[in-house]
Amino acid sequence: MTLSYLLKRVFHALIVLVMVGIITFFVVRLAPGGPSLLADPKLSAVERQAIEERLGLSDPLPVQFAKWAGQTARGNLGNSFLYGAPTVQIIMTRLPNTLILAGTSLLLTLAVALPLGLASGLRPGTAFDRITSTVSLVFVAVPVFWFGLLLIILFAVTWRILPAGGMNTAGLEGSLPDLLRHLILPAVVLSAASIAEIMRYTRSSTRTVSTLDYVRTARAKGVGDLALRYRHILRNAAIPILTAVGLQLPRLIGGAAITETIFGWPGMGRLSVEAALGRDYPLIMGITLFVALAVVAFNLLIDLLYPWLDPRVRAEA
Amino acid sequence: MPKRLFSVGLLTLGLTLTLGTAQAQSGILKLPLINDPIMNPVIAPDLGSVLINKVIFPGLVRPNEDLLPEPDLAKSWTITNAGLVYTFILRNDVKWHDGKPFTADDVVFTFKAATDPKSGSRLVSDFSSIKDVVAVNPTTVRFTLSRPFAPFLTLLGHNAGILPKHLLEGKPLNDATAFNRSTPIGTGPFKVTRVVPGASITLEVNKDYYGTKPKLAGMVFKVVPDINAQVAQLRSGELDWVNVEPNNLASLQNDPNITLKQANAVQHFLVFFNQKNPLFAPAKVRESMQYAVNRKAIIDGVLKGYADYPTGTLPTALKKYYDKSIKPVQYDPARAKALLAQAGWKPDAKGQLVNAKGEPFKFTLIVDRGNPSREQAALAVQQDLKKIGMDVTLQPLEFATLVRDYLLPGKYDANLIWWTTPPDPDQYSFYATGQDNNNAFFSNPKADELLKRGRETADVAQRQKIYNEFQRLEMTNPPVLVLYYPKELQAIRKNLSGVPDLGIRDALRHSEDFQLK
Repeated sequence: MTLSYLLKRVFHALIVLVMVGIITFFVVRLAPGGPSLLADPKLSAVERQAIEERLGLSDPLPVQFAKWAGQTARGNLGNSFLYGAPTVQIIMTRLPNTLILAGTSLLLTLAVALPLGLASGLRPGTAFDRITSTVSLVFVAVPVFWFGLLLIILFAVTWRILPAGGMNTAGLEGSLPDLLRHLILPAVVLSAASIAEIMRYTRSSTRTVSTLDYVRTARAKGVGDLALRYRHILRNAAIPILTAVGLQLPRLIGGAAITETIFGWPGMGRLSVEAALGRDYPLIMGITLFVALAVVAFNLLIDLLYPWLDPRVRAEA
Repeated sequence: MPKRLFSVGLLTLGLTLTLGTAQAQSGILKLPLINDPIMNPVIAPDLGSVLINKVIFPGLVRPNEDLLPEPDLAKSWTITNAGLVYTFILRNDVKWHDGKPFTADDVVFTFKAATDPKSGSRLVSDFSSIKDVVAVNPTTVRFTLSRPFAPFLTLLGHNAGILPKHLLEGKPLNDATAFNRSTPIGTGPFKVTRVVPGASITLEVNKDYYGTKPKLAGMVFKVVPDINAQVAQLRSGELDWVNVEPNNLASLQNDPNITLKQANAVQHFLVFFNQKNPLFAPAKVRESMQYAVNRKAIIDGVLKGYADYPTGTLPTALKKYYDKSIKPVQYDPARAKALLAQAGWKPDAKGQLVNAKGEPFKFTLIVDRGNPSREQAALAVQQDLKKIGMDVTLQPLEFATLVRDYLLPGKYDANLIWWTTPPDPDQYSFYATGQDNNNAFFSNPKADELLKRGRETADVAQRQKIYNEFQRLEMTNPPVLVLYYPKELQAIRKNLSGVPDLGIRDALRHSEDFQLK
């Protein structure tokens, strides 16, 4: 992993970001409709014109693009139409909330999916394997919206043991136990599909690796069961699993729009829905660029992790 | 090892559930919003913002249970010079939430901003009649209007909360982000203490409030974007009041902790027929639509009965001005066909309506996507019109697209939409020739004259006569096809009392009377 390789990757990343920015700008601006601030049919022509001027929408599109590109190049993503505050500032107020939910979901995903996937991969065809495979299929197929509402009705309405939504009870902001209570349901909903997906990758990867000669050799040499599973099999099976996890991360950082909307979780996902529905152009652009940056950064990170996991990749690099 | 981990996990979960169980502070009213509000009544663009502003920013007057203006920040007023001069005597015991005294200068500042489109005001049209506003002394304000304008008082109590001059003077209101989003200062019974972006706005009692001492300990507006989640939170006790749609009723009707109330909404849901399109120009064609569409079926089926049957564009909520003696037009497809025949549209061999040239009666009906009630109502309209031989295509569109790309440029045939108006019968901007909101392009000299006189006449009895006449005119020359006057469906937890018999936006201006047992 040389410095020139890294620099090349960073350069590619910049090109990707520029392309994403340009394409998104024109797709969003040329789409039918417009900012929700202008969607009130009762607005008079005078009021409408004043709003357009204030939002910078009265210029021709190429001029708007030139202004946006110049601003963005200087690190200024403009002010959100809906919030009237700098886009970066709004994203930064929502990002920690998303990281809390995404981080918890990721931990939950790994804690459940890896052992279960490994166990069913080592015992293919058994009842346990069949049950876990069926359950994972169900979780992949179940709509998030329905699953979320089902859990709310069961745990919040019927049994009243968990809150139905939000991130804190008003007045208890900063209380960790209160935050954890609010976190359980959305984290379970958000990780359900990921658990199923990672479990299936782990299972198939484990099945492939566990039939290899070196595993038989290690077993014959008397390597303990745990060491065999986690040090020998899982480490070799990890590359496809890591790729799958890498694909989950940008989705989690970009925010889980549906989960956050149902549970009223004030994160990036809900912000992106608000931005899209309100046609808040600066906020849409800001979130898109931010998520694109996250995708590029994670891809780079995963590429850097491969050689550490697999010496064969290290030799090639 | 894994077993131990599992045990630790279970223990943590158990502790979380028990330790984290918050003792809900009693007397805190919890209401939903669908997004973060703008806490500034002059620039607030959406209903959620209007609701919270009702609690923070009183106006000069407020609507009582009959929707008539009663004193609020103004103790009394006089109307002189043939309805051109309104002089308000203000209360002298009002303080802003930051302790500064409220004076006539604040009122002048608010209305200077409200009438200036560059300030970001959304009230420019409402108050375009104001020629001048001056502070005569610290407790007297005088408005001079450019023309007599009867709805003026009602509009003062509708959305025009008063803003503090000492905090906002000298810059466009939209630039006051900190004030609008996190630290609003009003004179209302509750004041904002904490804002968590995307999550909640917490308000406490304003001890300096000039009116009745609030009975609640505080209020929390929670951001809950999804209506199903709002209903679930109402049932779990995490919200106290949710306005619902008829399709949410099934999950609430058997809940012993929830009361369902109906409030009159000053709204009419309608279909515009673009009268620039020759199809809809003849009054006979528009009159026939009233007979062709089974509006009772829409009210019973789609709205589960929670709406009033219409006679014209003035909703029943305007009790004083609504003429109950006018006979509603009932569903009668045969009569519709007869009227269409008089207008030159007769069925061909296949039952399709055609004119003398053999051209079909063909048009597209647009409706906004995403609201089940409106989508189903549009479908019912399409089916009923098809039954009498019209070729109608239904096109659902995203609301912003519908407004910007179709409605405003007039590029549509027919459009199902709704108007929410202040509690006043003035509909000049909707149905008078050439006005901003006359998206149906309706034009009728008699209607123009009545609507103009109606907004200029202060005398209630005379106004009643004028609007009754307008209502009767609409029965034979309807500007639009009114489908129904909906009820506002309020699902309220039973321990909440003291709520006046009003829609939520007006009820919240009486929040000092609310009580949670």
